[in-house]
Amino acid sequence: MPTSPPALTVAGLRKSYGDVNVLHDVAFTVREGEIFGLLGSNGAGKTTAVETIQGLRRRDAGTISLFGLDPVTDADEIRHRHLVGAQLQTSALPDRLKVGEALRLFAALAGDLVDWRALSDRWQLAPLERRAFGALSGGQRQRLFLALALVNQPRLVFLDELTQGLDAAARRQTWELLDEVRAGGTTIVLVTHFMDEAERLCDRIGVLHEGRLSYEGRPADLVTAVGGPVHVRFRLDEPFRLDGLDRVRGVVGADVLHGSADVRCHAGACVPVIAELSRRGLAPDDLVLQRPTLEDAFVTLTNPIRPVPAPSGALIESELS
Amino acid sequence: MNAVFTLARTETRLLSREWATMVFAFVFPPLTMLVIAGSFGDQPDDGFGNLIPTEFYVTGYLGVPIAAIALIGIPVILASYRERDVLRRFAAFGVPTRSVAGAQAMVGAGLVVVAALTVLAAAIPTYGIPELQRPFEVAVGFAAGTVTMLTVGVAIGLLVKSARSAQAIGLMAFFPMFLLSGSGPPPDVMSDPMRRIADLLPLTHATSAIRDPWLGDGSIAPHLIGLGVWFVIGITACGALIRRGDSAR
Repeated sequence: MPTSPPALTVAGLRKSYGDVNVLHDVAFTVREGEIFGLLGSNGAGKTTAVETIQGLRRRDAGTISLFGLDPVTDADEIRHRHLVGAQLQTSALPDRLKVGEALRLFAALAGDLVDWRALSDRWQLAPLERRAFGALSGGQRQRLFLALALVNQPRLVFLDELTQGLDAAARRQTWELLDEVRAGGTTIVLVTHFMDEAERLCDRIGVLHEGRLSYEGRPADLVTAVGGPVHVRFRLDEPFRLDGLDRVRGVVGADVLHGSADVRCHAGACVPVIAELSRRGLAPDDLVLQRPTLEDAFVTLTNPIRPVPAPSGALIESELS
Repeated sequence: MNAVFTLARTETRLLSREWATMVFAFVFPPLTMLVIAGSFGDQPDDGFGNLIPTEFYVTGYLGVPIAAIALIGIPVILASYRERDVLRRFAAFGVPTRSVAGAQAMVGAGLVVVAALTVLAAAIPTYGIPELQRPFEVAVGFAAGTVTMLTVGVAIGLLVKSARSAQAIGLMAFFPMFLLSGSGPPPDVMSDPMRRIADLLPLTHATSAIRDPWLGDGSIAPHLIGLGVWFVIGITACGALIRRGDSAR
């Protein structure tokens, strides 16, 4: 979505706690309508970044523009125009507050822009309306917090570790709900350390590593840049039949170990490799193409030993030195 | 302000589910009033400045629910909200801590009125309600005492970091004030140091600002001044603590 106007622009953001610098000159842009993933290991500064951007923490330096407004000095206008919603990584409601009461309360605080009962139905909270917050499971709480984050119909919503603690089925269900939210035109900033989640949901990502933004761009571009080669694997009892395969353009290596062949190549070389195998009379019925994942790229990027990025990579300059 | 009213409605519902707070607000004051007011007779007594002991305690115990709710109820709730990040949840929604504290104070004020009425209701069939001498001043004294004590309670709630600490500090503040501020032993049996300490306590001024005009026993002006000083201390502390909470993040 390169032509969408920016919903959020962050530049030179710094934050420290005492002597510990948590964020160093973080800068990125989130465009309207996209899902932007903020990725990073535990302690990378993700939560500090999004909470500072929301004005919940004081920044030491830098500028933040939420639809052209500063989250601290223009907090009232941001609230009145219902620009931002948030689901925090750690927060709670009073234990005795019932789900229906929470929805009604936050809907009222937002000026009753939405019918809280409709919201309850949409997020499958209706059966829980009479249940106290303290009696909810982790997944139910997350669903409630997601509903509360959207109760003011925000143009941009921050979701911090939304699927933390959810089982696989609940995570997939949540992803589908996020697809719906995005389809409704809401911009989403998703903080996560689940790479499959980012790969599945995010249009663009920013990778925070030790308080610095190491990458900003499309997940696929990061995978291409630093994710490593595609692996073509199959059973092969005659290793010599791979001799000379590395002459195929794009092949970076090939070997056979314990009867299992592993041909490593660039993504564009997969078809030529398979064609060459066919030409050599090899038609393995167990051939598997294993593409690098975002997780592979993330691990490489955040590893102290840096790879050489592809020219098209959008790695942040300071990380390449 | 709308947010404060909206929150106050919900907080009222939540409070009705807190049985411990309800017992302390509605049962403890009338029960202890019934016991102590019956211990010193119903004739004017030198030890009570020539006031009738039952009347001294019936009117004086209107300050006990104020203290119970302000010093124990509100600090525990506010501290638990901060401890469990409920305040952050509201802040992320654009509801500042001052609005949450304001809602708590508003609910507390309503609770104080109802709890004070239960004290009077308990007195009707037992010792009777003393004749009201200066009703306007009583209303002023009750309002000033409630607002001041609630402000002090909110400051305690914002000061401590956990509900458990708030409960401990609240109880430590409540019981000495309860005993020294006119709900415990007769003032004349207290030693001079005890009386001097009592004269400094906000609850002493709150209790006296209600009892003195009710029984026609002296001016409430010095007590309003005392409450004014405590109100300024409390509201200044609240402001500083809210700012500290913001800047600490």
